[in-house]
Amino acid sequence: MALDSPPMMKASGSARRPGTTRALWRRRHPGRIWVKVVIGLLLVVEVYPLLWMFLTSLKSNSDYLNKSTWSLPTSWEWGNYSEAWTTGHIGLYVRNSLLATAPALLLIIVLGTAAGFALQIMVWKGRGLMLIIFLAGIMVPSQMILLPLFTVYFRAGLSGTLWPLILTYTGTGLPLTVFMMATYYRAVPRELFEAATIDGAGILRSFWSISIPMVRNAILTVGLVQFFFIWNDLLIALTFTNNQDLRTIQVGLLNFTGDFGATQYGPLFAAICINVIGTLVIYLFLNQKVMKGLTGGAVKG
Amino acid sequence: MENVIRAGAIRVSAYLCLNDDREPTVIIHSLRARRARITGLAASATAVAVLVAACGGTGTGSSSAPKQFSYLTNVENTTVKTGLGTLANGACKAQNQTLPLNVDTVPQTSLDQKLQLLAGQNALPVQFAAGNAPALTDQLYKSGKIADLETKLRDLGVYDQIEPAAISTIKALYGGKMEVLPYEYNIEGIFYNKKVFNEHGLSVPSTWDALVSDAATLQSAGVQPFAASGQQGWPITRLVSGYLYRSLGPDAMKDVADGKAKLTDPQYVEAAAKVAELGKNGYFGKGVGSIDYDTAFNQFLTGKAAMFYMGSWALTNIDDPKQDQVGAENIGFMPFPAVPDGKGSIDQYPSNVGLAMTLGAKTFDSRVGAWVKCITQNYGSVALKDQGSISGFKVNTPVQDPNSITTQVRKTIGASTQNVLWFEALFSTKATNVSQTNAASLVTGSMSPEQFMQTVQRALSGS
Amino acid sequence: MHRVLGDRRAIVTLIGPALLVYSLVMLVPMVWSLGYSFTKGNTIDGFTGNGLHNFQRLFSDTAAHKALWFSLKYGVAVTVGQVLAGYLLALLYIFFLKRASAVIRTLVFFPVIMPTVAVGLLFQKFFQVAPQTGPMNSLLSTVGVGSVDWFGSPGKAFWVLVIMDIWRSMGFYAVLLFAGLVDIPDEVLESARLDGASGLRLVRHIVLPLSFPVLMSALIFSINGTLKVFDSIVALTNGGPGNATTPLTLYMFQTSFTYSDYGYGSTIALLLTVVCLLVTLAIFRVSRRDLTEG
Repeated sequence: MALDSPPMMKASGSARRPGTTRALWRRRHPGRIWVKVVIGLLLVVEVYPLLWMFLTSLKSNSDYLNKSTWSLPTSWEWGNYSEAWTTGHIGLYVRNSLLATAPALLLIIVLGTAAGFALQIMVWKGRGLMLIIFLAGIMVPSQMILLPLFTVYFRAGLSGTLWPLILTYTGTGLPLTVFMMATYYRAVPRELFEAATIDGAGILRSFWSISIPMVRNAILTVGLVQFFFIWNDLLIALTFTNNQDLRTIQVGLLNFTGDFGATQYGPLFAAICINVIGTLVIYLFLNQKVMKGLTGGAVKG
Repeated sequence: MENVIRAGAIRVSAYLCLNDDREPTVIIHSLRARRARITGLAASATAVAVLVAACGGTGTGSSSAPKQFSYLTNVENTTVKTGLGTLANGACKAQNQTLPLNVDTVPQTSLDQKLQLLAGQNALPVQFAAGNAPALTDQLYKSGKIADLETKLRDLGVYDQIEPAAISTIKALYGGKMEVLPYEYNIEGIFYNKKVFNEHGLSVPSTWDALVSDAATLQSAGVQPFAASGQQGWPITRLVSGYLYRSLGPDAMKDVADGKAKLTDPQYVEAAAKVAELGKNGYFGKGVGSIDYDTAFNQFLTGKAAMFYMGSWALTNIDDPKQDQVGAENIGFMPFPAVPDGKGSIDQYPSNVGLAMTLGAKTFDSRVGAWVKCITQNYGSVALKDQGSISGFKVNTPVQDPNSITTQVRKTIGASTQNVLWFEALFSTKATNVSQTNAASLVTGSMSPEQFMQTVQRALSGS
Repeated sequence: MHRVLGDRRAIVTLIGPALLVYSLVMLVPMVWSLGYSFTKGNTIDGFTGNGLHNFQRLFSDTAAHKALWFSLKYGVAVTVGQVLAGYLLALLYIFFLKRASAVIRTLVFFPVIMPTVAVGLLFQKFFQVAPQTGPMNSLLSTVGVGSVDWFGSPGKAFWVLVIMDIWRSMGFYAVLLFAGLVDIPDEVLESARLDGASGLRLVRHIVLPLSFPVLMSALIFSINGTLKVFDSIVALTNGGPGNATTPLTLYMFQTSFTYSDYGYGSTIALLLTVVCLLVTLAIFRVSRRDLTEG
């Protein structure tokens, strides 16, 4: 019944003349002063920490500890970057993060989209219950599944590989993905698939070749969201990596300790900068795709 | 109802599984029998699959012959790691060839979790830091996970390589057993900046009242009297126990552990009140609760604070000119001052062996024995020579002390007759945590001394 | 009629793999762990049955009540803050900043990328009172209020945490909600405008109702995330001062792994799951027509 209710998120935007009303709106309210103030404030709040992070990555430890937060470095320690790279093994950690994130992300998207399709487009008894079962996963605190999972992975001989991370990320990422994809699929009319089948295509084929392009933007959005969750995870990575060579970047950042047990802040922030800049590039790339799709709104039912 | 049954079924099977004391088939059977009742979830079938994998899998759990001399330690401790690395390439090269050293580190805050997980799988490393509190170490020992080193070292013929003082410290802390190798041997006291003391005409205080009046002089001259990490908490609770073992005698904390006294007794609360007063007068500086260990250390080593309660492991930092801008020659060490009419004596020092470094009971084979033998014979001199770190092993190759303060501390250790316990030494892990996280509130005044002692006592009695 | 869409084999093929992985990684361990809540013990000493004792204990454990209260307080404050800030930002992007929007969006998104370790250090530095005066306290001093020890009292530490998490995540919610707002057809806005609606009234009567479903899912998502907050608190206050900023997750983690009381830890986790469930159901009720399935 409710499955036929209006779409919650229109993945396939309806026909639109871009920009008319918004342009009119702007003309009617030309550059109100408070908008400028808000944007200015926003820029300070967002850009200054970015700058702080970068400057800190060039400071010596005594600058970090003894000088005020906003001071410039007294000597510009570019060597922090090479130290982060060599003694901090940032390259290795980034590689591990990629090796754990990429397969998990792929699995989440493929499995999640298929399940979302089955839950929203396909007609069968009990799918309401199934959706709720998936939704329950959002409510489980991940701290409580750690011990059982550790036991299983260990007994299955998976400790010492990146598989525990990949599997755990996939499992914990699925509830949200399934839920979101099911919602996005509401915008896609079911009749489309019935028509396609009359043309001789199987439903699995229709799922792949008709529905996927229609929810492409949704997939990218969900992918983006999941990417940052997985990339920024610390708890799961910390629990399941018991080998230096398997550390992810977030775990690696906890290990910037110098010869005498003191945190090495300069190289730590250099490593953080490398990490942030790398992910920012990925974000920009994905974001451009997402937004191009959204504003193009080209796919029609 | 349904949930309870389901959870019960899985619990039973999980329990069997973890203990490995019954046939895995029993588990599958019991689950299958209930399967009819587990409706609505496809999980039942998968549960069986998981448990089969979990119980019957190719786990390497209880294998007793280690492939490596694996060593799990906290990130923050770099001294032992470095020392063992030196030995692996030097005196213990042969041992390293048969059983290569492999170090893994975790942040100290997640050490306990890691140990719990590994212990559950019987997968503890060959050598590991056994928890943040002696209580956890003791628990691991009692369940047979940690080797009894007294027997092992005697069998290897190297028991005499451990300093007697270190042995008595270990036994005092770990239920009368030798559970730990003394990679460090520390005494604690107050480090002070000699230069600052001279500039303000102060002499080393030998009583609590003199300490307080010196602090007042420094404070009014604009020098922060103490550096302390409220984030860590223990540098503050150590002052409370310091006052206690000076006023009530060396057994002050043991009496609490034995139930002969309570932290809420007036003479115990008095100690907390004395420390709270230091805080009230602002002697720890501003925002003590958010000062972390590095920052507090840095305040002292850059001359911004005149006194610093710390253990003798600080000598490695003092010896590092990059960190120590005051200069090792300008730093002195004094015992915790006496309390008037107190039962304690000023030559009793609290001592410890650092974070407990233990050896797994199940992996202790002859090759591990060879490593341990080599370590007991050589680590003492290597650590002292390379890193200025004092251990509880005999120093077999004479080493020149790097500076006078190291000499002073070593002499103090040699002359020390009786050790005393720090505040949380015999606490449960919970009481330890409660005490350390509330310490800052005690000195910032957001908790009264009575409240503080009550809170800790409650955590102690509760567990 | 729905013969094609009711193809059982296709349904199993589509949903089977996801269900399998999800069950293995989340459902089974969850049920398994819940089983522990009827036991006493830990991985070192083993587990023994304990009946309902853990549940009785939960009723009288003041620390658990305090943690629950903190989790709720924190969850509500941060959820309201981050969804509201995200929504306002999304409105800003869509109505005021067409061309500059991409740049601003990226900048506001940047904190999401920042590792928790870095965010923790950043806020410690910015709100610190000693040994140096942090920017926030310098600002307050210039205004004449004077320095404040932000992490010294429970109330202030709470607000720093709330500000930190809103700052971190508002860019994320802005992008999520922006995607929902972009989909509002221009014709609808235009005709509303021609009817004389403008400014706040347009937002209230047209934009808000149309974006209501996406707002609701953001809300569900946000409350479930913030009730389970862990990383940010460990990074900034580690539950202090005392246990004043300890949420249920941290209390559960400490109980299970530091205090070696895994059975009781599982009971606390169960409590948290039930709380999340109740809150989610409450939100569902409010937005029934759009989100629940018939």
